[in-house]
Amino acid sequence: MEVIQAQDGGEGLELAKSENPDLVLLDLMMPRVDGWTAAQGLMEDEGTRRIPFLFLTARATAADRRRAEELGALGYILKPFDPVKLPPLVADVVARCARGEAEDLRRERPAALWPADLEDR
Amino acid sequence: MTSVARVKEPETRGRRIASLSRSSTALGWAAAIIAPVLVSLLDLLDPRPSAQLAGFFFLLAVALSAHLGGLYPGILATVLSTLSLDYFFTPPRHDIIPSSSDKVGGVILFAIVGLLISQLFELGRGARREAESASARANRLQQVTARLAESLTPQEVLDAVVTEGVQAAEARAGAIGLVTADGETVEIVASHGYEPNLFHGWETFSVASDTPMAEAIRTKRPFFFSSSRARNDKFPSMAGLPGPSHALAVLPLVVDGRAIGGLAFTFRTEVEFDAERRALKTALAQQAAQALDRVRLYQNEQALRERMTFLAEASELLGSSLDFQATLAKLAQLTVPRLATWCSVDVVGPDGSLQRLALAHENPEQVAWAERLSEEYPPDPDAPMGVPNVIRTKTAEFVPEISDDLLVEATQGDERLLEILREVGLRSAITVPLVARGTALGALSLIRDTTAPPYTELDLELATELARRAASAIDNSALFREAERRGDAARALAHVDDGVVLLDGDGTVLSINPAAARILLTNGEGVVGESAQTIPGWSAVEESARPGPGENRGPLTIPISLADGSERWISASAVDFGEGSVYALRDVTEERVLERARSDFVATASHELRTPLAAVLGAIKTIRRRDVEIDPEQREALMGMIEHESVRLAGIVSQILLAGQLDAGRLHLSIEQFDPVALAQSVVESAETHLPDGIDLRVHASGDVPRVAGDPNQLHQVLSNLLDNAIKYSPQGGNIELRLNRDGDYARIEIADNGLGIPRDEQERIFEKFYRLDPALTRGVSGTGLGLYISRELVERMKGRISVKSESGRGSTFVVEVPLAV
Repeated sequence: MEVIQAQDGGEGLELAKSENPDLVLLDLMMPRVDGWTAAQGLMEDEGTRRIPFLFLTARATAADRRRAEELGALGYILKPFDPVKLPPLVADVVARCARGEAEDLRRERPAALWPADLEDR
Repeated sequence: MTSVARVKEPETRGRRIASLSRSSTALGWAAAIIAPVLVSLLDLLDPRPSAQLAGFFFLLAVALSAHLGGLYPGILATVLSTLSLDYFFTPPRHDIIPSSSDKVGGVILFAIVGLLISQLFELGRGARREAESASARANRLQQVTARLAESLTPQEVLDAVVTEGVQAAEARAGAIGLVTADGETVEIVASHGYEPNLFHGWETFSVASDTPMAEAIRTKRPFFFSSSRARNDKFPSMAGLPGPSHALAVLPLVVDGRAIGGLAFTFRTEVEFDAERRALKTALAQQAAQALDRVRLYQNEQALRERMTFLAEASELLGSSLDFQATLAKLAQLTVPRLATWCSVDVVGPDGSLQRLALAHENPEQVAWAERLSEEYPPDPDAPMGVPNVIRTKTAEFVPEISDDLLVEATQGDERLLEILREVGLRSAITVPLVARGTALGALSLIRDTTAPPYTELDLELATELARRAASAIDNSALFREAERRGDAARALAHVDDGVVLLDGDGTVLSINPAAARILLTNGEGVVGESAQTIPGWSAVEESARPGPGENRGPLTIPISLADGSERWISASAVDFGEGSVYALRDVTEERVLERARSDFVATASHELRTPLAAVLGAIKTIRRRDVEIDPEQREALMGMIEHESVRLAGIVSQILLAGQLDAGRLHLSIEQFDPVALAQSVVESAETHLPDGIDLRVHASGDVPRVAGDPNQLHQVLSNLLDNAIKYSPQGGNIELRLNRDGDYARIEIADNGLGIPRDEQERIFEKFYRLDPALTRGVSGTGLGLYISRELVERMKGRISVKSESGRGSTFVVEVPLAV
């Protein structure tokens, strides 16, 4: 698994276009271009529209999660997260998308990708 | 009593004159028989009576008879005397047939002289009788005049003219017709001596009609017809009238050149009207006209005076009390019987139904009866006539003559009610609306029965004026009560912090307290008495909080737009209490803004806490991995990350705690004197340990900056916050300067960066708790929104000041001023 890093949303968007990754992990609170804008940029571009993306963020409200879902995210992983468990989770999502199961994944909403947040309790 | 005595006098005198003339005739006849017989007795007394002496006595007897009895007794006495003189006294005596020519000549001479004497006395008698009759007529005319002078009502005038006038005019019957107010009709207002039903169908007739009286009125000239034929020649239409031929006199009643009516006299027989008779009748007509006019003026004046007095009394009554129910009852009582036989006052109740406030009649039993009747027959609100209609149309109803047809129509087939109304004998009615400020509050009804004259336009005017004053009194009283009631409520509500709006059933604002006005009204417009819908934003309140009948709604939080375009959030509760509703309002705009900031804070704080935790957790998980070998350098870096993020986490938690302490007022500062330059340097030193690349940080103290009085630990916190912000909001790097100088009694510390800057309209708000700039402006820079709030609170607690100068995109300069130590 190869990981390409970007410092903010704008850079991430450029890299997504040039490198055509299998999946994009997006933080929300980034300098200059935030995660919301970056996700919108991915969906609007013909070349990046089909790249699956997951949010990885410390913003834990239900409203944020809903917004992520509306933007087309396949998951919304909350910080703090276990860095050890993240790679297999990402690999699994990439594999299923490669099999054309992106829509099934969206319907299933597995708990690992959509953790319950503090506000819901 | 005087007038009665005077009226009787001419009758007695007239009768005396008539009886005298009758007894004179009888006496004359007696004298004509007895006197010659007495003279003849001289023959028995004297054997040789003197014929001359006897002749003298016989002439005396004739003269006496003629004097007492007139021509015919005189002739009888002459005949008897002639026979006696011839038989007893003229030689040769005791022969019937005169034997000598001397004797014949003497007897004839005597007879001629006797007849002449009789004729002479008869002439004198006629003259005397004529004089007596003229005097009697003059006397009657004088009596009529006297009676006319005392007449105060049209009826009295008519009685005087027609009853006395008939006698004075030697007529058998008379009538008076008056021109009505419109000048087009003649109305027979009085008659005397005519057979009943003569005027049936002729009670009124047109001034333009072809009748003697109408003609006299039109031409202002009198007509004298000596016979029915003369009348029919001029007025062929009257030819069909029955009865024997008789004379007729018709005279115009003229005042100031204007014919107000006509006077007619009908005679028993045909009469030739000589100049004297004509003059007499004309004088009579003039007298009558003058009297009628005088009476009219007098009555007008009297009526006017009465009206003024009545209105004055009514006004005094209406102004005397604010208890309008009692006042109106008294007013109704005041109208009977002067203005009305029946008087009622009805008002519109709060629910729109009619309420009878007063019902008056002279007789309390009648009032009780009428009250029972009106309970049995309540007013029909849709009736085309009467009180409901007057109130509905705000127009008076005036029925000068209540006809039977009208009663039939009004009772709508209710035979019993019709019977009752017929029995009461209603004559004339006026119903006027009680209107104040354009609203019909009720109606005043005046009814006269057949014992009183019908109402005129003047009465309508009086009733209208009375109603106007009564309505004004009701309105004043209602306004006063309302003001009083509102006053009580307003006094209480003025001190309530919650807005209270009281509406009536129609949604009209009855009351609005100062708190509600502060919330809803941006320019102090008066809304009391207006529909609540005129209040900007009210429709939004009613839409969500309007209570159903007897319902209790709320509290509900509603956004409303005010007249000035601003938006407010209000919490509204409403209660319906039957006659209206009460709304309680509270401005929750600030609470709502705060609430939103708080919920934003929860999201932000969770983010701020999770971010360092993510680093800590990530580092620990990595260190604890067994499948991967970590060299000591990597381990050290991860441990350093854990330490750094833990410190950051602790800083955020203490910021939240500090804000809580400041809110609760539980933070205590320990004020001491210290060197601000040294403090600034220590702040910069600790910042330099974690300064990102591309930031150039300098301290610059100009001149001598004396010691300040404050809490050095808290000031350290403030400057650290400001410095952290300067670094955070310079994501591209840049120069940050910390400058110190003395400004009067303050040490002035400036922290200037050339980073993102703050838009002008946000600069005031950035010191508010939880306030954060729009994320688009901060380019993802995170924070709790507490740093500047805490800084301001701390500086102000040290009696210092904090402010910002900034321009979007050009960086910011935060200025902290701390008082110098004394």
